[in-house]
Formats: sequence, C-alpha cells, structure tokens
Amino acid sequence: MTESATNDIRAAARRLLADGTVSVVIGYGDAGPNRTVPIFARTAAQADRLVVSHSALNNLTVYLTRALRPVGGRIAIVAKGCDVRALVMLMSESQIAREDVYVIGVACAGVTTSMGQPMSAETVAAKCRDCIVRTPPLYDELVGVQCEPPATSDVLDRRIAEIEAMSAHERFDYWAAELELCTRCYACRQVCPLCYCTQCIVDRSVPQWIETSASPRANLSWNLTRAFHLAGRCVGCNECERACPAGIPLSLLNRQLAATALREFGYVPGIDPAAPALVGSYDLADREEYIR
Amino acid sequence: MNEYRITQESLQAFVAALVADGLTVLAEAADGSGYARLAADDRVAIDPSRAPSRLSMKEHFFPKSEALFEYRREDGGFVLVDRLPEVRPTVILGARPCDAASIGILSKVFNWDYRDEFFNRRVDATIVIGMLCAYRDEHCFCTSVGGAPDSIAGSDLFLVPLNDGALGMRVVSDDGERFVTAYAHLFEWGAPGDPLQVDEALTLPSVRFDAEKVRGWIEGHFDDPYWSAASETCLGCARCAFACPVCHCFDIVDEDRTYGSGERMRNWDACQFGMFTKHASGHNPRAARAQRYRQRISHKFAYYPSRFGEVLCTGCGRCTRGCPVGIDIGAIAVEIGGMAS
Repeated sequence: MTESATNDIRAAARRLLADGTVSVVIGYGDAGPNRTVPIFARTAAQADRLVVSHSALNNLTVYLTRALRPVGGRIAIVAKGCDVRALVMLMSESQIAREDVYVIGVACAGVTTSMGQPMSAETVAAKCRDCIVRTPPLYDELVGVQCEPPATSDVLDRRIAEIEAMSAHERFDYWAAELELCTRCYACRQVCPLCYCTQCIVDRSVPQWIETSASPRANLSWNLTRAFHLAGRCVGCNECERACPAGIPLSLLNRQLAATALREFGYVPGIDPAAPALVGSYDLADREEYIR
Repeated sequence: MNEYRITQESLQAFVAALVADGLTVLAEAADGSGYARLAADDRVAIDPSRAPSRLSMKEHFFPKSEALFEYRREDGGFVLVDRLPEVRPTVILGARPCDAASIGILSKVFNWDYRDEFFNRRVDATIVIGMLCAYRDEHCFCTSVGGAPDSIAGSDLFLVPLNDGALGMRVVSDDGERFVTAYAHLFEWGAPGDPLQVDEALTLPSVRFDAEKVRGWIEGHFDDPYWSAASETCLGCARCAFACPVCHCFDIVDEDRTYGSGERMRNWDACQFGMFTKHASGHNPRAARAQRYRQRISHKFAYYPSRFGEVLCTGCGRCTRGCPVGIDIGAIAVEIGGMAS
C-alpha cells in the first residue's frame, strides 16, 4: 500500500462524488504518522484527505449498518480484503444490497496491530499472517498492489494449541480469568460489522436475559453469548480485540470459531456472496439427524 | 517541604513492608492495562516516562460493579441487608497527576447531594503517592484543564525523579506525613539530591484551549450542527467513558441470585449508550448519536464546571488513545474554543 494507492483512492473518490455515483465515500483519513481515522468524504476537498497505508486498521463496513443506514442511496467504501469479507457476510445475511455499495477494494500488504506503529515483523497484525484475501473477494475497482506483509510468527496458532491442550476445567478457568477483566463497555460489539442487531440481547431488559453487571458470571454470559452469535459468521478482522480496553484476547475465540466452521462444515465465512450463510441454511446431508 | 530519598532497593523494601502490613498496593501494571495490585516480591518500577495505562485508577474508588445491599423476600415483604464494602487500607504508588486529580473531582459528585459511603470509605482508606509525569504525547492536555505534570493535587506523597536515578518523595499532606512516619526508617531523610533537570520531564505541555471559552460556546449552542459533525464516526461504545478517570455515571439494577433474593448492583454506565436515557415508556430523549455525544462533551466542559467550578476532565488523553475510531477530545475542545473566539 503506497503513495500511488492513496492517489488512486483520492482520484476514485473525487470522480464518484463528482459524477453522482455516490453521495459519500467512507475511507481512511490521514491522522499523522502511522495513524488514520475513519472519515466520510462528501466533497472533493474531503476526498483529498483519504489515504491508504499499513495503518488503515478500521473495518469501515461497520458504518454501513450503523451511522449510514438512514442515508440511503449508494455509498462508496474503501475496504481491505478482511473488510470485504464482512461486507460479503452482510450481503449474504440480506443486510446490504450489492447495488447499494460501491467497493473501492484495496490490495493489501498487511496492517499493524495498533495505531502509531511503523510496519515491521514485530508490529504486523497476527491476522495478516495467513490472510486469504490480500486481494478482496469482491470490488468495483481495485487500488494498490498486492504484496506480502512482513513475515510474522504463528503466535495465534501456538496460543490456541496451548489452550486446546488444557483440560476442560483449565480452559474454563483460563477464559473465566480473561473475561473477568471485561468492563462491559461494548466496544467489541460496537466495532463489529456483524453485530448489527437493532437491539442486542444484552440491552433487552424485560426480561434481562444477560445481567449487565461487570461481574465474573455476567461477563461470561455476555462474552460467550456474543461468541456464539458470531460462530460461522465472524470473518476474523479482530477489530473487537483492538477495541477492547481490558486486553481480552478475543482473536483467539474468533480464530477458533473460524476453524470450527471450516472443520465441521467446510465453510469459510465472507468469501462467496452467493453462498448461503452457514447459520441461515441447512443441508440434507448434515450429519446431525435433527436437521433432516 | 519534607522530603525523603528513595533508591530502588528502598522502594522494594517499602512495598514489601506495606504488603507485609496487610496493605493493598496498587501501581500501573507493566502490561499497560491499568492499576493492578503488587505482590511483596514484584519488581517495582516507577517510570515517569511510561505511557498512561488503558484504564485509570478510578475503579479502585468506584468499582465497575458493586453490590449496594442484599434483598430477600420474607413474610410477604422484603428484608434488606446492608453491604458496605470491606475496605482495606490501600496505597496507590506512582499515580499520575492526571489520575490523582480525579479523586477531588469525583468527590464533589459523590458528596454533592448525598454522601456516598462506598466511595468515601475507599478514598479515606487510601494513601496516594503521586509521581511527576514525564510522558508527553499529542493527546495529553492536562495544562488546558487546570492540571500539570508536577501537580500535587490529590496526592499525599509525591515522587520526583532525581538525576542520580533515585527518587525524591515529598510529603504533601497531613495524611501522607502520618502514614510515612511508620516507614521513614527505610528512606534517607532530608535533602535528597537535585531533581532531574531534564527538559522533557519538567517542560509543561502547552495550553491547547481556554476551557472557559469552551464552556461559553457550549452553553449557547445546544442545537448547533457541530454536534452531528463531531460525532459522525462515533460508534457509541463506552471505551472513552470507562477509561476516563472522572466519568462517573452508573446504573442501578436488581439482580436475583436465587428465587426471591438477590443484590442491588451499581454498575458503570455511559451516556454514549442508547439505553442510558431510554424511558420505560420507550421514549428516548437522546435517541440520536449526536445528542449523546453533545451530552458527553457538554457534561465535561459546561455542566460540571458550572456546578463545581472545574472541568470534568484531567486531560489524561486515555479516551482519545483508546478510541477505536480515533475521536480526539482535545482536538474537539480546541475546535470549540476556536469557534468561540
């Protein structure tokens, strides 16, 4: 992701705004060295603030179902491969119509773990190691040149192997200790493009299905419920982990969910918009009898 | 001013002695998460240049979740059982000035129209050992909201790095004086050496905005379109409020533990949540994102200052550093200040 990609994004955004293809371009705005912030560009001047870099961390597709749901009309969005996977899920779950989004895909060379970091083998995000979508699976136009991010260690896989090697009790204790730190700020939910429920179960107070206290028991209920709701859906952008103030390693849960969907159902979420969603479909060949 | 000299060895011995005496010692954890409890043999590092932790120390005084009382159904009515917290004497070691200042700000709210015993008991049982702060980044703005990297507000004792690598510990309150006497044998007494003369450590961050002007603008612009523009990318989580050393809103809920008995809980809450102001009728006076964001900024820079005479913000920058979409509260105050002039 280079200067030329940034120029391409700006040119595309100016053109799309000028010819009326879209009313707004959601992209990454320059926010200083190794930093970007989400911006909504509606004018040529705003389009010239757009950048693409290894600091394009946010999964901007979250805005398609939040802030911009009421906007209507076609919206352009700058999206890396992992972001496009979320968009594909939103399409296969009938949340977004393909024709309502103009995708400026970014051929991605990886992003860093957090803002403010230059790109290196130490700072590259763990999810980039075995990314399968360096070129997004869907786009209207593509900018950037695909290349490999710096080689990184298989830290996530090793951690998951350690956790899988634990006894069920040890594993429960491990997660109970991690989740005890949760403050219930719901940053994980708010940054998640696939947490689009208009009313989250934790906000349903009559009855209160999940306690709102940040107590160990209630934190388990909340975090495990959210993980189950994302099973077979999470595309592993790991924005939840980046947003978490308590440092809970949510990427481990995300990766395990994806591994399970692949192992049990041969399903990879967010690659094929025409493929039926795993949790929204059934198969007569399913090995569980109850579904037949 | 009375002052002690503390070497790394005497600091370790000090913490070990405190723990041995049954005190809880809290310090910013090395992993940057927040203020965590030290064990007697933990290596103690006082690093005035370290970046602020993700969460502040307010959880020690105002826990994210606590039971106020228990209830149980009995003979057709309810029996209530008080649950005042068991408070252990606590030392907060190396509190940043922007954290230590939070105690006074929170105390005004927790003793305003009602004396909150839960909060007060914890404050009363705590000795705060502040630390001169040598950390600076573009998100710090303590000097714009009445603070400073060398402010002793909220501290009982105050650590200053010396140019030979040791620390000077100044006694700044009567509580601090009484407390430290029991441990004075661990330290050297008297002139401890020259304070660190490092420009970075002692140069004040520049004042970025005039808080009084910010208040003036907010009070006259309740319906200004600025609020929509400023909050456009906000996703409505509470990371900012929960990381904030002075955000203090809470929700009160009854949680049944068994049929007919349970606890009344006080939990952190935040004005950025849609549920925060939702009425039982279903009406929500702050239904829109922009209204909720206006509330956050207005409470900090206008409503609280009008009532209590200082800003509801210590300029620590945690909200901005942690915001997943990079919303910069300092920049917003600067922008509002600019619109006011």
